[in-house]
Amino acid sequence: MNEDNVNRDNVPGCCNTGLESESEPELKFKFESEFEPKIVGFLCNWCSYAGADKAGGSQKSYPPNVNVIKVMCSGRVDPQFVLKAYAAGADGVLILACHPGDCHYKEGNYRALQRHRMLLRMLNQLGIGSERCRFDYVSAGEGDRFVKILTEMVDTIRTLGPINRPGLNNIDEYSSEKRSENGYSIIGS
Amino acid sequence: MKIGVYFCNCGTNISDKVDSGQVGQKIEGIENVSYFKTLELMCSEEGKEFLHNDLIGEKPDRVVFAACSPREHENTFMRILSGADMNPYLMQMVNIREQVAWVTEDKDKATAKAANFIKGAIKRVSFHKPLEKKSIEMSPDVLIIGAGPAGLKAALTIAETGRKVTLVEKRPVVGGQPVLYEDVFPNLECAPCMLEPMLNEILHGEHAENIEILTMSEVIDLSGFYGNFIAKIRKSPRFVDKEQCIGCGECIGVCPVAVKNEFNNGLDDRKAISLSFAGGLPNVPFIDMKACLRAKVAAPSAEVAATPAENEDCRLCDQSCPLGEGIIKFDDEEEVIEKHMGAIIVAVGASLYDAGLIPGLGYGKIPDVYTAFEFERLLSSSGPTGGELKTRSGSTPESIAIIHCVGSLDSNHKEYCSGICCQYAFKFNLMIEHKLHDARVHHLYKELVYPGKEEYLLYKRAKENPNASFTRYSSIDTIGINSEDGRVRVKNTESGKEALIADMVVLCPAMVPTKGSGKLGELLDTTNDMFGFFEELHGRLDSARSKVRGIYLAGTCQSPMNIQQAITQGMAAAGYVLAGLVEGKKLDVEPITAAVDEDRCAGCRICMTVCPYKAIGFDMEKQKASVNEVLCLGCGTCVAACPAGAMSSNHFTNDAIYAEIEGVLA
Ligand SMILES: Cc1cc2nc3c(=O)[nH]c(=O)nc-3n(C[C@H](O)[C@H](O)[C@H](O)COP(=O)(O)OP(=O)(O)OC[C@H]3O[C@@H](n4cnc5c(N)ncnc54)[C@H](O)[C@@H]3O)c2cc1C
Repeated sequence: MNEDNVNRDNVPGCCNTGLESESEPELKFKFESEFEPKIVGFLCNWCSYAGADKAGGSQKSYPPNVNVIKVMCSGRVDPQFVLKAYAAGADGVLILACHPGDCHYKEGNYRALQRHRMLLRMLNQLGIGSERCRFDYVSAGEGDRFVKILTEMVDTIRTLGPINRPGLNNIDEYSSEKRSENGYSIIGS
Repeated sequence: MKIGVYFCNCGTNISDKVDSGQVGQKIEGIENVSYFKTLELMCSEEGKEFLHNDLIGEKPDRVVFAACSPREHENTFMRILSGADMNPYLMQMVNIREQVAWVTEDKDKATAKAANFIKGAIKRVSFHKPLEKKSIEMSPDVLIIGAGPAGLKAALTIAETGRKVTLVEKRPVVGGQPVLYEDVFPNLECAPCMLEPMLNEILHGEHAENIEILTMSEVIDLSGFYGNFIAKIRKSPRFVDKEQCIGCGECIGVCPVAVKNEFNNGLDDRKAISLSFAGGLPNVPFIDMKACLRAKVAAPSAEVAATPAENEDCRLCDQSCPLGEGIIKFDDEEEVIEKHMGAIIVAVGASLYDAGLIPGLGYGKIPDVYTAFEFERLLSSSGPTGGELKTRSGSTPESIAIIHCVGSLDSNHKEYCSGICCQYAFKFNLMIEHKLHDARVHHLYKELVYPGKEEYLLYKRAKENPNASFTRYSSIDTIGINSEDGRVRVKNTESGKEALIADMVVLCPAMVPTKGSGKLGELLDTTNDMFGFFEELHGRLDSARSKVRGIYLAGTCQSPMNIQQAITQGMAAAGYVLAGLVEGKKLDVEPITAAVDEDRCAGCRICMTVCPYKAIGFDMEKQKASVNEVLCLGCGTCVAACPAGAMSSNHFTNDAIYAEIEGVLA
């Protein structure tokens, strides 16, 4: 799908792929060939955010593709946040909650789970695909688990490739053309 | 709007991986960002001082701190904002240490990721609103439900600090279960003597005036929340003036009605006017109006044993009172008392698993099969036999079987060990040896437990009783108890041995939640654990707190335990109360709560169904939801659930989160 077999070491500036600003237009092409997934991770304050800190404390390195947004409880994650993330350019969304029975707010994680199930159906209907939104549990002590889930998610999205998103965001002419050439489905079409 | 960004190198913890110069370039030109400053160590004294002065000098409207995890220093930086006369909620921390520098190998990637995070924060922070911690007056008074060891110790501890306690006890006496015991393990100390000083302290001690004891009373309604609960307490009439009565008992002798005595588990009778038991405190009789001849009830209660003709005019007790008229108050009435208090301690104790549910044990059918509670009363000098061990037929037992683990450690009954039964069984062993030197004592057990620094020695003493035997059984279903020739046969079907011949059998059933604790829990809105005990906030860290703020737990209502543990937990609960509810102190209400936009609220009440804290009320008149800011803990579940977008969560508004999403992906 995406030309993932390109040897990254030989591509100048590839380390910034997916993250570079408008001022570096010459990297656009490399961005396309060197697909770096953009993922938004909604982490609850009490368990999963602390789990992410735990991974940090033990200095476990993992791919830098997940942008963490902290919420007090996974139950706060409005399905619209997830849709907003895709619209704003995310290729995947991760929702991490406390384990069943451990929710700091008793049952917010169950609400989050219910909403996630509903969301998956909607994502399939929208053509985004349910694989692009993962819900899972990470406790405050599970730094390793956090790294594992996050790495898996990055791999999944890397394999899926970018979302084709005309109409959802202001992706530039070139890349949207290029994507439809490549035969990606177009949302809304 | 002017936004200031401060970047912390954290020594080299962050700067090793994230290049602040490049980050500065990446965020350059973002709307409203007025400056970007890098510090070596923001949380150091110099760092904090610099921030303080710089905020005063720069006067930004919003601030972003890119540093360690907010779990580390968010409070530190909020305080710095407050110190610089800024609202502490007008900042956002970005976690570029734990979630970026420490976890990203490649320096350029780390720098780019940090920049993304910071962009998210910059976008988000402009939507932050100044929030104020509200403070609410709290009542420093405390309600304690249940006057057993746990409730009494809690009451005393709180009263000693000069604070007011209302102690609600449903029985006519205080002291809970242990006042009914003769001796207590592990040292076979005299139970009434052990408790007497504490009871006296409660009733007549230096701080007694701070404790209002409501006996024969129950809580029937509760509203409000931490700091401001309002309880309705129903106080049944005692018909005897508690203040004036001297407890001589003259009235009791003359009463013509006898009813089953519940304080002796129905093993003997008491009068319609009665003391609970000799030595019960307060030492004031009560009239059981259901049994009294004056009662105008058509059918006398089933428990009435001897029923002389109903007689509205019987005044025998009143006439016999040496203090004259007015002590017995036939016109005493039920009262409903309303109390306002800041916190509640639940200490309603536990009861025993119904041994009748294991039919093979013959409980309720074979007269000489007793529960441990009943046996305690048979051992007690204030009990039905004055402490003499006798069978129902009046003979002295030669052999007593004690069945441990009745309904315990058993998936068909209760899947836990109550931990105390072995101890009181060993206590019974020694008390039987003491009272009847030659009687045999047979222990039948599934497991024996004796944890703790004194319990094993008690077991050793019981084991050393030359007339004692210990036999293990695998399942309570293998035990069959029958009566034959006036003696009881205890057959252990798996051992293949002859049945044991006993004159008395004592069953040690699992400790279970007391009757009515479910109803009380509903009223208090507390939760139950899988066994029906009052559920603690956390099994290890917070076993003396319920999940409802301001409601604490003590004693066997939370879990089976011994007196020592119940007393300790009573003190723990008192500690929570005293630390949280300080006279004159107001309750700080966190501003990160949900809020209702009434114009948008359609009154569907979905928010109420998802709120885990019952923090959302409904205004019937306006047909709108309303958030109780004290009860709301700000999880935001209702916000995500509201179909009308009428709910918002302070500090985690949709706008702020949308902005952050856009920011990190920009
Ligand atoms: C047979 C037996 C023998 C034991 N022997 C020993 C021993 O020797 N040593 C030892 O350390 N432990 C012993 N224990 C354990 C001991 O009884 C408990 O640890 C102790 O009673 C716990 O105290 P508590 O205050 O939690 O509850 P309790 O003593 O049960 O007191 C609870 C009080 O709350 C009242 N109450 C209940 N419901 C309500 C309501 N809705 N409203 C108002 N009031 C209410 C009750 O009337 C009671 O007065 C024994 C237990 C059993 C079963």
